[in-house]
Amino acid sequence: MDAERGVVSLRESRLSQVDRIHQVAWVTQCALSRICGGCAQSLGRPIAFVGTPEEVARNAFHLPPMHVECAEDLRRTPRADPSWQLTLTAGFEFVRPTREDADRRPTFQPNSLL
Amino acid sequence: MAISDVKEYTHLTDEEVEQIGRELDAIRAEIEESRGADDAAYINRLITIQRSLAAAGRVVLMASAATGRGRKPAWAAGAGLLAVAKILENMEIGHNVMHGQWDWMNDPEIHSSNWEWDTAQPAEQWKHSHNYIHHQFTNVLGYDNDIGYGILRMAREQKWHPANLGQPVYNALLATLFEWGVALHDLDIERIRKGEKDPKEMKRQLRQILRKGRNQILKDYVVYPALSGKQWKSTLTANLTANIVRNLWAYVIIFCGHFPDGAMHFTEEEIEDETRSEWYLRQILGAANFEGGPLLHIMSGNLGFQIEHHLFPDLPSNRYAEISVRVRELCDKYDIPYTVGPLHKQYGQALRTIIKLSLPNRFTASDQPEPPTPARDRKRKSDDERPPRRRELGGWMRSAAS
Repeated sequence: MDAERGVVSLRESRLSQVDRIHQVAWVTQCALSRICGGCAQSLGRPIAFVGTPEEVARNAFHLPPMHVECAEDLRRTPRADPSWQLTLTAGFEFVRPTREDADRRPTFQPNSLL
Repeated sequence: MAISDVKEYTHLTDEEVEQIGRELDAIRAEIEESRGADDAAYINRLITIQRSLAAAGRVVLMASAATGRGRKPAWAAGAGLLAVAKILENMEIGHNVMHGQWDWMNDPEIHSSNWEWDTAQPAEQWKHSHNYIHHQFTNVLGYDNDIGYGILRMAREQKWHPANLGQPVYNALLATLFEWGVALHDLDIERIRKGEKDPKEMKRQLRQILRKGRNQILKDYVVYPALSGKQWKSTLTANLTANIVRNLWAYVIIFCGHFPDGAMHFTEEEIEDETRSEWYLRQILGAANFEGGPLLHIMSGNLGFQIEHHLFPDLPSNRYAEISVRVRELCDKYDIPYTVGPLHKQYGQALRTIIKLSLPNRFTASDQPEPPTPARDRKRKSDDERPPRRRELGGWMRSAAS
């Protein structure tokens, strides 16, 4: 880890599945199997979502649910979007896209913000 | 072919399909907004009742062992109480908690992430095989492993094999040993046999199953009998009976969910590019309800409202009854089949299908309204083979590429 910048490399983190976090199939599997999108292990409580300020404002996230540690590691990887914010919740709704949605990715809507 | 080409849909326009989706979304939003203290009280009350029943069953068995009096009635009462407690724990509590139906309460115990249920399958594997595989690919041949559990031929579209002649026997064994069949479900024996399963993942899952199975055996067949002293045999047989009763009940309820006449099967082509509304429609057409009073529904984990459970698997189960009234009205309005019948009829139809499909198609006639598509090999698929509806790259990957 680059202590000065607080950057975490993928090898140091548990993020074994990080390359899949934008794949719809993986996102869906994480949502329904209740596993962490970053490390593929069972989710804990609270559940963490990482998203842009717009996603936070709309309470609709595209990245899969994660452990708090995995989400924090993801935010500290060199490739992370600097605007990403962390949201914690006890539960979430998994919302599939409709025909009218221009963005055909499913979203997660935290329903018990902490 | 898309799901909109399925016979039951063809009278609907695209706009009507989307309107059905919007109406179901509205039902969902209403329940989410009204979810609150009454629902929390329901699940807490139910857990208290379930634990009291389990404790009462254990106490009755031990007391009868200590006094030696009225042993047979006490044995029956103890076994009965335990059976009911196990059924409630598995069906109305464990299954629904693991769907995340109660996560919104932020209760440290009643949460999908840490509930471990009183049955042989590890919760983690159930959440994959049931919540993901079964609920995402409901009744899609070759994708949903719940279509016959890899043991039974339950659709005419599945290729017949001489081994299917034994279906009535396999079915009886599956029913009696249901928790152990479910325990092995996520292992996907077929893929192991074909050498397609990742050995590391298989070993990890096997370790989980062995640990969970060992703990279940220790609890019911070693520790509690040992606590009963000389009457250990009585406690052991009562525990065995309770487990078998729970197995048989869970099997009947689960088989009534998708195998009665009217519950349709789908092909991979039919779920291609499926929208939310089409996903909703597949859930309605692929599931079957059964009728009954409130007690029957609670004992069935509210899976008598299988259609509503499949539409909204993460809404609290105690709300399915009220949701079902509105879903049924919606189905009537748009002339969509809504499969429902008494429990005995629904199970009778499932059993008839098991027996009929033990024979090649040419010896039997279809009971389904939909004409079968040609038979072909529909082997189980791995997660990687299951179709993503769309793969796309978001901001993180764009920044990674830059």
